[in-house]
Amino acid sequence: MVLTAEEMIKLVESGGVEVAAKEVDVVTSGTFGAMCSSGAFLNFGHADPPIKMTKCWLNDVPLYKGLAAVDGYLGVTALSETRGFEYGGGHVIEDLVAGKEIELRAESYGTDCYPRRHVETVITIDDLNQAVLLNPRNCYQRYDAATNSTDRVIYTYMGTLLPNYGNITFSGAGQLNPLCKDWNYETIGIGTRIFLGGGIGYVIGEGTQHSPKKGFGTLMVRGDLKQMKSQYLRGGVFHRYGVTLYVGVGIPIPIVNEKVASAAALRDDEIFVDIRDYGVPTRPDLRPVVKHVSYAELRSGKVTIGEKDVPSSSLSSYKMARDISEILKKWILEEKLLLTKPVELLPTQREFKPLKIKEKELSVRDAMRTEVITAKPDDDVKDVARKLVQKGIDHLPVVDEQRKLIGIVTSWDLARAIANDKRKLADIMTKRVITALDNESIDVVARRMARHNISGVPVVDASNLIIGILTTDDISRKLIEGGRTTV
Amino acid sequence: MRVRLTYSYQVVEKPVLADIILKTGLQINILEAKVNAQKGELVVSIPATGRELEKILAMFKQAEVEVQKFTKTLHIDQESCISCGACISPCPTRALNFGPEWTLEFDEEKCVACRTCVDACPVRAIALP
Repeated sequence: MVLTAEEMIKLVESGGVEVAAKEVDVVTSGTFGAMCSSGAFLNFGHADPPIKMTKCWLNDVPLYKGLAAVDGYLGVTALSETRGFEYGGGHVIEDLVAGKEIELRAESYGTDCYPRRHVETVITIDDLNQAVLLNPRNCYQRYDAATNSTDRVIYTYMGTLLPNYGNITFSGAGQLNPLCKDWNYETIGIGTRIFLGGGIGYVIGEGTQHSPKKGFGTLMVRGDLKQMKSQYLRGGVFHRYGVTLYVGVGIPIPIVNEKVASAAALRDDEIFVDIRDYGVPTRPDLRPVVKHVSYAELRSGKVTIGEKDVPSSSLSSYKMARDISEILKKWILEEKLLLTKPVELLPTQREFKPLKIKEKELSVRDAMRTEVITAKPDDDVKDVARKLVQKGIDHLPVVDEQRKLIGIVTSWDLARAIANDKRKLADIMTKRVITALDNESIDVVARRMARHNISGVPVVDASNLIIGILTTDDISRKLIEGGRTTV
Repeated sequence: MRVRLTYSYQVVEKPVLADIILKTGLQINILEAKVNAQKGELVVSIPATGRELEKILAMFKQAEVEVQKFTKTLHIDQESCISCGACISPCPTRALNFGPEWTLEFDEEKCVACRTCVDACPVRAIALP
């Protein structure tokens, strides 16, 4: 008997896991989500005279060309050089699979054996010798959900996140997810034959960042793009983040024992993830955990955070995941897809380590000036203007008796105040001050300044006492000193 | 009926909406508001139809507030939509939801045409003509 994961859940609920383990041969899983670590190896064949392509574009999307003359790897997050965020490698793959014509452009330095230096032509998938989808990381077992504690909308690879915990987004098919159905990595391995992008593919090993001990396994997969369908490979855009590819994957789980049967019957309310705060721009595993929830809660459309009911919605398609599990079931019953025994199972003892940074990350402390010239709210505008000119500065924090920050004025504010004949600093200062903490990364604060279109921030401690000032000038000076040329 | 009200700088400081609510006793709901010293733009839902609605719109016009009815609405390309849900939770008025079988559904009455979903859709299946 072959059942989809949803049918397996029902059977175990009604008949128990022992019965299901005996009666069911295979459970089919499915997922359809954005999988950024995907791409395709393409072989274009030789032109006459031939070219050793050192740079190559398909519809203006650059390929990786550190390979032989006419081989290339098209990664799905590569951006079009003319259309930016609206079109990328994932879209080229979708268009190729749909049979559309694609513009190929390539350049070279020319060699004795490959004299041609330039080529521009139009191709379709039929013109390619090989078009192999080869995805280094697909099918995350689970994925942490996302929310946003800050007071502004943020645009992330987890979609649009509204301010003040305005919404929650999540990804993954939960109870239909292939690696959730083989929770202990007992059946899937190198050589497992799968549904991939509407065609037949194979698992070729663990995916990058495979983290089995924590229950965040991943897969590396491969399949012939020429057999696939564009319906199951869709280019995607995450607004102000970048481009990707939605990949459809379905994996058959042979029910080899009761333990596998019970994993294959895991329900959404038994699969948990953390909701993390994407408003804090730290390493993914350090993003603060807001709540631990099940896929059932996430999929219900609403999760309670504190006192508030927060709307939640997925980024991956449960509907498509379900379709894929149904198609895979049909394929198995029609013997269109024959099950394989893996040559080797997935490793169960890998760790996903963060990147070690040898050079210390520049923090605000390293670039800020600690001798801060400040003003009082009662100060006269003209005196303050004089002070700015004398000291050659543009930003003047306004503090109270305890040196707590209460406002800021810039030379522009003062110019305007004098033009409008305003006298007191308190009347013209900006009260809602954008600040920085001394342990924050320069990159984070530089981004904050750019976002608010300002050129300096007072540095404060936890009790809002002013301890320094940081301007864009300070940052550029520090970067030149440190030999860094980019922010 | 959803209506966009545009206040020029001459009228932006007048309590036009409050006056009309007091005069008519109608519960006019503010769905969206962008107001600064130069200009104000409100999207409101007026619980009225036909002649009554026209009468209220005329009151706004008389107060020199520009009135624009929401006739255009979202177009969701069902062929292209993958029913992922990326547009659902960012929608500030809950106009998008999953229907039966996890297919995306759109409630036109709730939509304020804010475009959030247009940008949030990964496969660009939503358009606002």
